[in-house]
Amino acid sequence: MMKNPYLPLPMKLVKNFTETEDKLIHTFTLQFLSEEDEKSFPYMPGQFAEVCVFGKGEAPFGIASSPNEPGFLKFSVAKVGVVSTALHMMEEGSTVGVRGPLGNYYPVEELKGKNLVIIGGGFAFTTLRSLATYMMDPVRRGDYGNLTVIYGARNPGLLLYKEELAAWEQNPDINLITTIDRAVDGWNGRVGFIPAVTEEVAPSSENSYAIICGPPVMIKFTMPVLEKLGFPPERIIMSLENRMKCGIGMCGRCNVGGKYVCKDGPVFTRAQLNELPNEY
Amino acid sequence: MQKLAAQIKDAAKKLLEDKKVDLVVGFAEGSLPLRGTPLFARTPEEAEKLTWSRGCENNLANYLRKREGKVAVVAKGCDARSIVALVKENQINRDNLYIIGVPCTGMIDRKKVEKLLEGREVLAIEDIGDAVVLKGKDFSETVALADLMHNSCLDCRYGNPVLYDELVGELLPEKGEDDFAEIKAFEAKTTAERRAYLAQEFSKCIRCYACRNACPVCYCTECFVDCTTPEWIGKSAADVQDNILFQAVRVFHSAGRCADCGACERACPMGINLRLLTRKLVKDVKELFNAEAGVNLDDKAALASFTADDPEPFLVKE
Amino acid sequence: MIVSKKDLPNFLDKLISEYQVFAPVRKDTFTVFKQICSGKDAVLAAGNTKLPVKELFFPQSEKLYSYSVTEAGAKLEATLDDQQKIVFGVRPCDAKSLVLLDHVFNNDKYQDPYYLTRRENTILVGIGCNSPASTCFCTSVNGGPFDTNGLDILLVDTGDAYVVEVVSDKGKALAEKAGFAAASDADQAAAAKAKEDAVVTCQVNLDGLKAKLDVNFYDPIWDKIHEKCLGCGACTYLCPTCHCFDIVDDAVDCNGCRVRNWDSCAFPLFTLHGSGHNPRTSNKERYRNRIMHKFKYFVDNNNEIACVGCGRCIKNCPVNMDIRVVLEDVRGSEARLDS
Repeated sequence: MMKNPYLPLPMKLVKNFTETEDKLIHTFTLQFLSEEDEKSFPYMPGQFAEVCVFGKGEAPFGIASSPNEPGFLKFSVAKVGVVSTALHMMEEGSTVGVRGPLGNYYPVEELKGKNLVIIGGGFAFTTLRSLATYMMDPVRRGDYGNLTVIYGARNPGLLLYKEELAAWEQNPDINLITTIDRAVDGWNGRVGFIPAVTEEVAPSSENSYAIICGPPVMIKFTMPVLEKLGFPPERIIMSLENRMKCGIGMCGRCNVGGKYVCKDGPVFTRAQLNELPNEY
Repeated sequence: MQKLAAQIKDAAKKLLEDKKVDLVVGFAEGSLPLRGTPLFARTPEEAEKLTWSRGCENNLANYLRKREGKVAVVAKGCDARSIVALVKENQINRDNLYIIGVPCTGMIDRKKVEKLLEGREVLAIEDIGDAVVLKGKDFSETVALADLMHNSCLDCRYGNPVLYDELVGELLPEKGEDDFAEIKAFEAKTTAERRAYLAQEFSKCIRCYACRNACPVCYCTECFVDCTTPEWIGKSAADVQDNILFQAVRVFHSAGRCADCGACERACPMGINLRLLTRKLVKDVKELFNAEAGVNLDDKAALASFTADDPEPFLVKE
Repeated sequence: MIVSKKDLPNFLDKLISEYQVFAPVRKDTFTVFKQICSGKDAVLAAGNTKLPVKELFFPQSEKLYSYSVTEAGAKLEATLDDQQKIVFGVRPCDAKSLVLLDHVFNNDKYQDPYYLTRRENTILVGIGCNSPASTCFCTSVNGGPFDTNGLDILLVDTGDAYVVEVVSDKGKALAEKAGFAAASDADQAAAAKAKEDAVVTCQVNLDGLKAKLDVNFYDPIWDKIHEKCLGCGACTYLCPTCHCFDIVDDAVDCNGCRVRNWDSCAFPLFTLHGSGHNPRTSNKERYRNRIMHKFKYFVDNNNEIACVGCGRCIKNCPVNMDIRVVLEDVRGSEARLDS
């Protein structure tokens, strides 16, 4: 009997947390109903899942939790469409469906022994959080070199995972640089857009990989900076988003050239994307 | 027809050579027997491909909305009415449009040809005036034009373009009033009969939206069928009621704006009798408001104006 | 083996008692595949059906599963259609389309159980095309009027009878069970003659097309080619190899089902992001994607062209957007291959 990739795993929504001050992003903590269910969902940082609100539909979201955080999955979701709006309004204790894990993941094997520069903007920090958390797991922190995280948002209230960021600030295992677009009282971090801050911080490209997620305009202006710093396209890793339905390379809508973001991505290197049309 | 084609070509080439327009929208010879296909000519050389035949069935007004620059269009009667309707809706800037009017005696319905030939394939259609010769592998049949024309052409009272800057060919004699015989016959049926007929017709619908996209006055930025919040209508073609609802809302929305060009029905790959619904509204608008869409630039569109004595038979017994 | 046309309805009736039998039946001016209750209803002489055979394996609208969610939890129920079926009177182009769709629904990572279960439990009995239509170009896309790719049995019309060619093991078992009479040498000769006489007159030259598509994504040719396209879904829905779909919920509160419906890359909504951004903004990008998908992306991924030359899109396009002409225009465009 083949596995039915359309059937979601029922999960319990244990926490519906308002992540940002504008209330537009909530982080959902979903609990597996059994150990068996959890075993059937082995995932890696960078993968996504189709989260379904029964009666409304499904939508794809990057997994924000990390495999070394057992028992649950986390998703940080902006309120934009039918499904995300319904999710935002859901009461804790409700049942949702999760289909996945889907897509490829950050090349954690290839990254071993390398220095990493993780660059995130706005709420596109979800799978980056997963990756950083994964690498900071004491059992594997030694596998990776320096870990630099540059993370920015328009204002402090829009940064995700504030408590965790505060803990990372104190952690010598990780060099965290946070930035906001315009100065406000009480902010001790940097002020400025991601491309400019990246240029200031000037992480070395030697034996390094850059992993970058964020709004298109941020990506656009950060690319030349990374190039200038000497990151070759093969060592710049990105995660794409396109409208998706099936998540398994069949429904036809998320293709960028001949590649399906859902099945062949969402993680691509800049070098791979250079070979594809700009339909994302 | 050949003479008309030559005149259209000359007119278009002159407009492009004199740089009076940037683009001429007309018809080129298509790839199937007696099939015209829309052509966008931007140079006199491209305009060489322009033609005219009984296969130029598309309503070119559909390509004229919100165009940049000066555009000329080859317009038969129905195209011209739709253009007028769209000018009134601010979709076409009359000052930037040059209309090459072509009096039209009707276009041939390929579905009728198919039906008549019962599975034999037509390889060539020759237009011999009042009749056409259908030629295939082992046959040649002469058929009266009236038997093969689109129903919309048989019903059409506006073969002469109502608006043009230049006319090619000669104006046709006026025809009598439309009697809406088939609509009256349908109205006379019982509700159950009507419902059964519609259910049967719309069981064929595959929701490809060719009807909507071919219609010059269907141009909403977001069609109600595509809207997801709220979701007004089911997206599945398996639900006949939803298929009917889609078409019912579409025709209501085009009431007083529909020129009865038949573009929707011509576009339908499944051969659904769509004009039954569009014409019901055309008839109602005519009876209730004494109005016809796009017959002149002066009248306000029937449902775009209000007077205290507008009929309200659905609401008030008069 | 051979079966006379006179005996065919009886043969079909026998099959109907054991299988669900689907065959082309008349509907208005065209034919469509329908389940038949009587062998007499099958219309084999009418050329291609209006809708392609894909609808029997990948229906326009299909329930993936039903669900009911209560405080006690979620109950999901999926049913796979594993009825034993015979599809009778499939044209070789349509049969080939299923071989192509197999790549999609059984890709390098995932299997679609709905499609594949139907495929596994269906026997395809094809009929060769003695007189291909003027819009048929199967031979230009690695097919042919008597091609057996994807079929279990092929019938060759020899006038009063069909000569039966067994293609697969499934076909062999069915033919043995049917107990067809042996075909004489004369019958075989008649079948060979029918094949020889069937000429696909339309040839579409695809030489160099793929090489051009490999490099011409940003070519100005795309600004012109789509111009008359209305952006409707007629070509995609009637295409035997187009497989795009949407997944929607049909539910009251938390009880209902998840349904998949055919969708089309011609529609703006198809790729629209929640943010309002659309990677394929206009008809130009959408039409280009359709051509690229069939003649480049599918070739890159599966080493086959995703077009079987059935001609449905040509016959049914409301504005006579003819794919043969489009391909010729693309192939002949002056774009430099090194650009």
